[in-house]
Amino acid sequence: MATALKNLEDPRGHFFDIVDLFDTSVVTPRLGILRVKGRQELETPNFFAISSRGVVPHLTPDVISASTTIGGVHMALEDFIERATIGTPPIMKCPGPSPLHTFTALPQPLITLLAPRRTPAVSAPKGNSNTAISVFPSTGFQVLSNESYISYIAKLHPDIAISLADVPHGSSPGTKRVAKMGDRTQEWVTELLKSKNNEQAVQYEYLNQLADELADGISGLAFYDSDLLPDMPATTTLSRLPRLSLDEPSSPRQILRQVSLGMDIFTIPFIGFATEAGIALTFRFPRPVLEEPLISEGIGSSVLPLGIDMSSKAHTASLKPLSTACTCYTCTTHHRAFLQHLLSADEMLSWTLLQIHNSHVVSEFFISIRESVRNGKFGVDCDEFARTYESELPGKSGQGPRVRGYHFKSEGPGEPKKNKAAWGNLGNFGHGVNGLIPDEPAGTLEDKGFAEKVDI
Amino acid sequence: MAAAKSMPSALDFELVARCSTTKARAAILTLPHGPVLLPLFMPVATQASLKGLTPEQLEGTGCRLCLNNTYHLGLKPGQEALEAVGGAHKLQGWKHNILTDSGGFQMVSLLKLANITEEGVRFLSPHDGTPMLLTPEHSIALQNTIGSDIIMQLDDVLVTTSPDTKRMREAMERSVRWLDRCIAAHKNPTTQNLFCIIQGGLDLEMREECCREMIARDTPGIAIGGLSGGEAKADYCRVVNTCTGLLPELKPRYVMGIGYPEDLVVSTALGADMFDCVWPTRTARFGDAITKHGVLKLRSAKYCDDFGPVEEGCGCVCCRKGEGSLGVTRAFVHHLAAKETVGAHLLTIHNVWYQLALMRSVRESIIEDRFPAFLKQFFADLHGGDKAKYPDWAVEALRTVGVDLMM
Repeated sequence: MATALKNLEDPRGHFFDIVDLFDTSVVTPRLGILRVKGRQELETPNFFAISSRGVVPHLTPDVISASTTIGGVHMALEDFIERATIGTPPIMKCPGPSPLHTFTALPQPLITLLAPRRTPAVSAPKGNSNTAISVFPSTGFQVLSNESYISYIAKLHPDIAISLADVPHGSSPGTKRVAKMGDRTQEWVTELLKSKNNEQAVQYEYLNQLADELADGISGLAFYDSDLLPDMPATTTLSRLPRLSLDEPSSPRQILRQVSLGMDIFTIPFIGFATEAGIALTFRFPRPVLEEPLISEGIGSSVLPLGIDMSSKAHTASLKPLSTACTCYTCTTHHRAFLQHLLSADEMLSWTLLQIHNSHVVSEFFISIRESVRNGKFGVDCDEFARTYESELPGKSGQGPRVRGYHFKSEGPGEPKKNKAAWGNLGNFGHGVNGLIPDEPAGTLEDKGFAEKVDI
Repeated sequence: MAAAKSMPSALDFELVARCSTTKARAAILTLPHGPVLLPLFMPVATQASLKGLTPEQLEGTGCRLCLNNTYHLGLKPGQEALEAVGGAHKLQGWKHNILTDSGGFQMVSLLKLANITEEGVRFLSPHDGTPMLLTPEHSIALQNTIGSDIIMQLDDVLVTTSPDTKRMREAMERSVRWLDRCIAAHKNPTTQNLFCIIQGGLDLEMREECCREMIARDTPGIAIGGLSGGEAKADYCRVVNTCTGLLPELKPRYVMGIGYPEDLVVSTALGADMFDCVWPTRTARFGDAITKHGVLKLRSAKYCDDFGPVEEGCGCVCCRKGEGSLGVTRAFVHHLAAKETVGAHLLTIHNVWYQLALMRSVRESIIEDRFPAFLKQFFADLHGGDKAKYPDWAVEALRTVGVDLMM
């Protein structure tokens, strides 16, 4: 599924420039620049950070400004409208010309992208209708009509809005459903375009129509499935539009594949997954800076992992940066021993430091991708990357932060609790008091210098 | 009990000003990692991190001296790892000062079957039931490894409200004997400052006796302990007032576990210099903002569309206007409270800033000798000018040092 992007600021033409694409009929990686008035230019291919309730998880706005190079943030309307059932959502009363930016205290240089749903989205128990989709605010499922979505966009004034799309999150649609998805999405895009004087992006059959009828009104295309890219109608108007991937790539390799098909901007859930799993990403494109230290991590094979589990006791006294030669705040100011300690102590700073590092690694990854495309070496570099690194991220061993209720829906009765109880009953120590009761053998405690064994 | 020999010190205490009415003082305390201005509030970074803030963010609140807990660091990452890393400053990337407690308080409150004997704190290993012992020597060795700028003696802590006078006396006298063991065990007296802890419950005579014994040991600084355990505020004030009356003028005085704004200003008036408490950072995680007009419970629905700053006129990075402002609103904190930790981080920044800024303005008013007027304004702001709401204990305590809030 694909849908339309609407840029609320600039007249079309200045919004997205493709730097180096000469032949629009060829499927190929491409370089571009996304320009939004009042925001920092974004060189593409690149990524937008994913937000939850309007914040990049674990990062306060001052940390985003000081320690990351994130260029834009994917915001989900469903994170802001839990009060819609009882009145006007507070964000709709927020003053100023760009309420979405103001409400979320997002640093001014960053681009906002408003989508109806979070990515990844929780699948709805009820299907979408001809005029509305199901969304999942923190208080439970709600219906969001295209009409009200359009009025939210008009008021919140995101830099870019993704038009409503009929996407059945979590299940694969049948043939009839697919046809309906296309029809509905097109209808909704048309409504959105009519509502505003400037512009905006959608499924195969429907892409053709898009090319013929709507391309003049839209400023970009959003893809829920990147496999559609090779099937894009090769018209100049459509090719000129920036392409946003909502395809949830699970690995850097999948990103590279989409870049090779001409994708421009990504949303990458695995950054957050790695952070909350206690994993520091360590991959570089197309090869590590220094091979020696990575090999000596005891991997055993010549294929490098994409990340390192910072929870591992192996890091307890390691003063090394998370990733060799990394220039991020975390790696230049802290070391593995601190990360290991913070993760083991369940301290929130662990995820902040990992999120800074992991965002930096992905930013650098895209810088190298652009460099490689510019030098015409993207194909060979991708091959080298595939030979050098494992295809998927390592598994997690850390417990991670408490799971947010609104990121999950119950799948039925008898489900185990997602979060451990923070506290047990009074007097019932050892049950829930998180890590504050020594649980190691007396000999270990003695070795640690914590106390000594005695005879009674 | 005989007085021990005088101790070396790794600090410099410069008394800058004295309030001409109350017992409040302003001073500069120079520690191994730089100077701090007294009176002072110290936020608590229990496990070597202040609840999600980076060291730079903590520095940005103006903090130059924070706490770590010895008990927690002793368990994680443990002495061996601390030794390998080179101490707590290096572990957490903190360039400024650290104070550590002795670990005794957590030991007694967290461990089942912990009991105190002359040797130390005895407990059964929760893992396998092996009897174990934590001694003053263990605590000091661990704090030496941690490398904190101020270390605390292991003391025999008893709730002040305990009615058992005999046990209270035993705890007080034992704390003095343990101080001697701590002094003997302390390996780095020229780089780390050992503070004694005055015990004696709510019994003023016992406190006086303890003060005399502790003062004779000549530690670089002196703490008043065993308070903040549910005793009546009036009793608390009497104990602080009694102790500060006996303590030498040219040493820092630290009252442990104190953090409510009204407690801070009153305790300063009673002659105390340093305070710590987890309350400002803990309450931030519940969505509570400390302001000069009282605590705002930002989880309340009434703040859902309040687009003002957390506190008007506050200089923290969340609230300040103009350059470098984040433009955080009450509505946004409400939106995040209990749902995304970023909300807690933002309020933690605000609350720590509030506490430190409060102590800075207390200090300025002492230096300019207008502290009594400051106290009156402080209570007027906190209670909306309604004197009927002023807490009796504060009015009473301040009367003993020459300030009448009702006048």
